[in-house]
Amino acid sequence: MKRILSILICIVLLFSLCACEGNFAQVDLQSNIAIPEDGIINKSVLNQIKDENAIATFTGKSGDYSYEWTVFGSDIAEAKDINLLADITNKDGIKIEFSQEEDFGFPMLLSVYLNEKWDCLSATAYSDNKAIYSVSLTGTKESILNISVNKIVDSCIITPDATQQQATEGKVVSSNKDETKNDSDDVKTDEYLSGSLQSGGRVYSDGSDSEQDKYKTDPIPQGKPRPVEPENQEINNEKTYTCTFSIECSTILNNLEDLDPDKLELVPSNGVILPATTVTFFEGESVFDVLQRVCKENNIHLESSWTPIYNSAYIEGIHNLYEFDCGNLSGWTYRVNGWYPNYGCSRYQLVQGEVVEWRYTCDLGKDVGCDWMG
Amino acid sequence: MRDSFSKYHPFVNLIYFTLTIGFSMVVNHPFAQLISLLCAVVYVISTQGKKSVGFLLKFCLPLVLLTAFINPAFNHEGKTILLYFSNGNPLTLESILYGFSSGGMIITLLLWFSAFNCVMTSDKFIYLFGKVIPALSLVLSMTLRFVPKFKTQMKNVADAQRCIGRDISSGSLISRTKTAITIMSIMITWSLENAIETADSMKSRGYGLKGRTAFSIYRFEDRDKYVLVWFVFCFLYLLAGVIVSAFGFRYFPDIRYSAFNITIIPFYFIYFGLCITPVVLNTVEDRKWKTIYSKM
Repeated sequence: MKRILSILICIVLLFSLCACEGNFAQVDLQSNIAIPEDGIINKSVLNQIKDENAIATFTGKSGDYSYEWTVFGSDIAEAKDINLLADITNKDGIKIEFSQEEDFGFPMLLSVYLNEKWDCLSATAYSDNKAIYSVSLTGTKESILNISVNKIVDSCIITPDATQQQATEGKVVSSNKDETKNDSDDVKTDEYLSGSLQSGGRVYSDGSDSEQDKYKTDPIPQGKPRPVEPENQEINNEKTYTCTFSIECSTILNNLEDLDPDKLELVPSNGVILPATTVTFFEGESVFDVLQRVCKENNIHLESSWTPIYNSAYIEGIHNLYEFDCGNLSGWTYRVNGWYPNYGCSRYQLVQGEVVEWRYTCDLGKDVGCDWMG
Repeated sequence: MRDSFSKYHPFVNLIYFTLTIGFSMVVNHPFAQLISLLCAVVYVISTQGKKSVGFLLKFCLPLVLLTAFINPAFNHEGKTILLYFSNGNPLTLESILYGFSSGGMIITLLLWFSAFNCVMTSDKFIYLFGKVIPALSLVLSMTLRFVPKFKTQMKNVADAQRCIGRDISSGSLISRTKTAITIMSIMITWSLENAIETADSMKSRGYGLKGRTAFSIYRFEDRDKYVLVWFVFCFLYLLAGVIVSAFGFRYFPDIRYSAFNITIIPFYFIYFGLCITPVVLNTVEDRKWKTIYSKM
């Protein structure tokens, strides 16, 4: 009797374990598939990725550089045999030669792991002196170039764009067109020191602060705008300006295995949640005010919470991608004209023509080029 | 209905409540939650009578609605944006549904614990844990015993005070407060005194000496064995169900759940079977009692 009972239980358990695939349709991650020596990935592999709605990463190595292809099953319209072999050399920039001859027919993301740190905001890939891919830069100690490859060329050369220093200086000049500016750095420094520069009612730091302000903000570097307090800001609805907003999370694509599996389906295949968009805003508005409006207009989910100690809103999640979703050091950061302000986004007053980038970090800002945090 | 399940061996009772409370906390599929809630309601009403219906309607129902309202105020995750709050955060459908689900889970657990309290009396608790964790189980049972004892004594004192004209239910606010303070002071003195008396009486009966045994009237009978085997079977079966995510349900970022099919449905039946066991045992016992009674 006892034996029969135990056998029965075993059978029922086995049956339910084997037959039950009760998983709800989720995006599946297949990471670190090695690229074979001839580089050819069979059609059947891609078909499987497509059918399972999976995200797959293929890793390979070329000389000193390792690279990784990421493909989203949802992007694959029609699978075919593809060659993922890439030859990467360093000649006047990073040169990539593809083995694939015709277009993939679906977007693939190529991440190239460099051995050095590039001090620049972005990079561009050129083929025959024409820019073909825009490259997003991530990586903590060694830069990672993320290239969304839509159409294939024989080879391309990637060179860094403007460095952070150049970008900032360029912006200061352009936002102060009415003031006479001298090219010499000495004069510029003198001007900062002699008094605060004004632009759109905004005050720039002369770099002389040595202590934190009452909202625990460290001294603002020289030439960067000082924070404003949102409760004192008056919004002038008559004066409108434009600025550029973008939201992206390409660092997640480099750290897919750390991401909460439930959130995999949210990640766009090129990492871009909102491409660079020109936005109209009113005088006196902060980055936070504009971000809220932009997200509402584009139907992007946004959650923020007011943090009195920093007198600013804190962005918890955009597009349902929240802080801590991709590791303990992950969250949202913002960069204006190439600089990560060291205060909250409610305290950054925008002026005409600024470029605001919201970037997801998986390493406390270090992988997106923000070096002042910890 | 008499609760004959509480007459089973304490170990069986303990296993049952551990399983139901444990699975109610782990499983978040609304259908499974509903099964657990219904079984808890039926069990509590059938054993504790009409008093519990009032508790359900007055306390549990508002609690579910409250969590369903409060959760979206703090939780804005979810794909389906319904509208925006004044501070710019979205109200999402997922957070509302999650509020209902967690509210349901809270009251399910409350009901299971209220049943647990009635069944697992302190002597059963001491019997089960007296050997494993003697000091803690004694302290626990004494603390738990203290509350009802204190309440009874307080009623006695209040009644006695009323007889000499110090009534807490009438008079001006100041005089009532004064009386209440007097009663509190009496109660504190009493509880201190009582603690000393308890300690003395325990010492005089030889508490803490070597070689003492504890008397218990519990016997592990055949019926306990059968019910225990059934519980173990349910546990293994449901554990397998949790592992293969038969009760899989997620709320964020959008609602996804495992589809019902022929392999999933048995898990729900087993879950229902586990939760309803005491009610079935009580009913069977009741029938038996009635037939015997009518024959006499």
